[in-house]
Amino acid sequence: MRRVALAALCAASAAQAGVSVPPEARGNALFDQANAAYLSGETSRAVAGYEALLEEGLASPELETNLGAAYLRQGKRGLSALHLERALFLDPSDDDARADLLEVRRGNVDKLEGEAEDGGAEALARALAPLPGPAAAVALVALWSLGWGLLGANVLRPRTALGTSAIACFLLAGAAALVTVGSAAAHRLTLRRAVVVAQAAPAREGPSDRAASHFEVHEGTALRIEDEDQGFRRVKLANGLTGWVPATAVEPVVPPGWSNQRRL
Amino acid sequence: MSRRTGSALFALLVAFAAAAAEDVQVSARTDADEVALDGTLNLTITATVSSKGDQAELSLPDLKDFDVVSRSQSEQVAFTFVNGAPTFRRTTVTTVKLAPRREGQLAIEAARVTYKGRAYTTQRLSIRALPPGQSPAPKARAQAPPPPDRFAEDAITDPFQDVHPQSRDLVLRASIDRERPFVGQQISYSLYLLARVNVSGIDKLQLPRLDGFWSEEIEAPQQLVGEARIIDGVPYRAFLLRKRALFPLRAGKVQIDPAEVEVMTGFGMLFSRSSTRRSSQPLTLEVQPLPETHKPDGFDAGNVGSWTLTASVDPVAVAVGQPVTFKLVAQGRGNVRNLALPKLGQIPGLRSYDATSNDKEAIEQGQVTGMRTVEQLLVPERTGAIEIPSLSMDLFDPAQKAYRTVRTGPIRLEVHAAPASAAIGSQAQAQNLLAAGGLRPIRLRMTRASVAPPPWTRGWFWPLLATGPLAVALVAGTGRLRRLLARDPAEERVKKARSAARARLRGAETLLDEQRRGNASASDFHAEVARALTGYLTDKQGIAAAGMTREELGRALLERGHPPGTVRAVLAVLDECDRARFAPGGADLTSQEARLERAGRLLGELDKVRRGA
Repeated sequence: MRRVALAALCAASAAQAGVSVPPEARGNALFDQANAAYLSGETSRAVAGYEALLEEGLASPELETNLGAAYLRQGKRGLSALHLERALFLDPSDDDARADLLEVRRGNVDKLEGEAEDGGAEALARALAPLPGPAAAVALVALWSLGWGLLGANVLRPRTALGTSAIACFLLAGAAALVTVGSAAAHRLTLRRAVVVAQAAPAREGPSDRAASHFEVHEGTALRIEDEDQGFRRVKLANGLTGWVPATAVEPVVPPGWSNQRRL
Repeated sequence: MSRRTGSALFALLVAFAAAAAEDVQVSARTDADEVALDGTLNLTITATVSSKGDQAELSLPDLKDFDVVSRSQSEQVAFTFVNGAPTFRRTTVTTVKLAPRREGQLAIEAARVTYKGRAYTTQRLSIRALPPGQSPAPKARAQAPPPPDRFAEDAITDPFQDVHPQSRDLVLRASIDRERPFVGQQISYSLYLLARVNVSGIDKLQLPRLDGFWSEEIEAPQQLVGEARIIDGVPYRAFLLRKRALFPLRAGKVQIDPAEVEVMTGFGMLFSRSSTRRSSQPLTLEVQPLPETHKPDGFDAGNVGSWTLTASVDPVAVAVGQPVTFKLVAQGRGNVRNLALPKLGQIPGLRSYDATSNDKEAIEQGQVTGMRTVEQLLVPERTGAIEIPSLSMDLFDPAQKAYRTVRTGPIRLEVHAAPASAAIGSQAQAQNLLAAGGLRPIRLRMTRASVAPPPWTRGWFWPLLATGPLAVALVAGTGRLRRLLARDPAEERVKKARSAARARLRGAETLLDEQRRGNASASDFHAEVARALTGYLTDKQGIAAAGMTREELGRALLERGHPPGTVRAVLAVLDECDRARFAPGGADLTSQEARLERAGRLLGELDKVRRGA
């Protein structure tokens, strides 16, 4: 359906233009058309357009934010929260996505009670997410290597300037290491983060439809995936409530295509 | 033959009909025939089956004219021995609170009860719904007939059956209706005045102390109302003065002391009026303990009597976080104050608050009845179906002289999600209310983000970090190796000169110790001291002392900047060593120790100059 929509949009764009357009320009054109559909109130068409772009493998915080907003207009809080979370993963400084996500959560059915079991690790991860982790990691490698190079030179031909420069490099590398560690911690937590996309799902004691259920989770609730088995995912809420829910009921914030790392 | 067959068939039919009639009994009734549109009525469906384990399945009637406000169910299993065989009677009482949907004549269709594959139906009921606010006309409520007084089984029915007043005009008679009650079973204490003269009044009535009983007033007449009785052929009038219900608190023989009263006889002013004091006879009763046979574990001795237990939840469907009221009611005959009701334990998904309890007592047909209502607030914390489990209470029924268990049915509470706040599309009522919130406008420009794995997850990251330290370690290690390989033996000897000289002095010290044991000579000692000094001078100072005269050695040392005192001391020690080696017997151990110490000190002084140079 989405591919058909994408093909139709492409055909329409190409027909209008009369020339073959590069992929990036074509993607932008589709984005514009989906935005126009959203603004004219045709949220279904807008969602189809945004989803078609996603299926093309496009990763864009703006695309995810707009798709989250479109889903929210359709009343699909779970999918809305999922795409807004993805927007924040791609761009942790995206204020629009953060504000829209707050709006979604305000209407969440599930209100967690009790203190966070992980001691606020989730909140810390949120705070650390905007850190420039990749850049800091590259800087760490560069400064660290430079520091050791200067130290080696100082060993061969002792010079005061060489020693001082080496110490400065190590200090800067230490700062870069701190940023990298923080960012890596946030990234690791985000890889296990998920959102309930089903309207309601019973959380069971085991990965089976026959296992007893002690509580339900509802769409939009953020949780953590801890295990997978037999079409079920073992999830844990921030307050420590744990259960097995059908795998289709929850979606990880970071889709498999975005990261080749193991999640668990 | 035909007559016998016919009789047998008739007997079989009668037996079958009787068995079927006794097997299942179903009935339905309402507590009112009229109800206002804004009021409620209770529909009670009772099903009694002769079974221990099988349950009758109830299908509620079609209640199209009513809304079901709440529903509760209680169950009671009675166990008796009849002709040596156990008999069970399971009674299920389902109470449904109904609210009419419209005015007019409404119908409650027959309820259907299925038991062992057979269906039984109740009668159809008709209810008149009145306009809202209009109270139903007072009328006799459709109540079940009062249960038979099962306590009367071994009761003493006539309080005057053993009274023989003989020639007495006034007799104060105390009586109890049961002489061998169980602990906790009600007995009635009555005080009668028998008179065959006119009684105008009584005064100073003194009831006995009723220690060992919990007592409750049943009757305390304000006026004397006589009842004609013929006792031993003599007409008397019997006046009831007091009637109290007594509940024995402990087992054993108990005596109730006599009561006393002052009786006024005569007809007032015109006739002679006199006052006579009368006492009743004492009473003795044997209170039996509760039987130990079949006594349930943890049985509470206060649960004596005939009680029913019902539980209900209102409402039965609720949003999460909204409270519901759980009500547990025990009703029946006995001492309600001593009852111990079961407690609702912790139920997953329900937060429970402290329960409140309310007791009500009444007197019905001379029996103390009571009702205890326990109400508890429950707040569901999750959505879905939550079952409030069955509660059971063991009790001793004195009428049947047996223990039995009454229990409530499980109650299913449906918890649904609370409605989400309508944040989207809601219109603020205030004028131009610029409240924060709402969706942000969409973004019109799209940027591509990288979803490549972060550097620290790449294969090159950690090896690259290790490269720097490894390279520096390699450089440093190579330099050190090269220095080791390029070492000069002469220079090595110079570096080790001092430690070699010290080693020799330690050897001389060993020789000194050996001398004390007689294993070495003084010449060996002095030769070692001299070797230490000359070896040091050769290796460290570059002075071949062994081939020099003392003058040449002194000059060489002075040329290298050694202080003259040190030079003289070195030469003196060397001379002393030579003398001791070649002229033995001139050195004692003390002087050798002093020489060894001096040689060590001189090494230090010689080394200073070398280092200074």
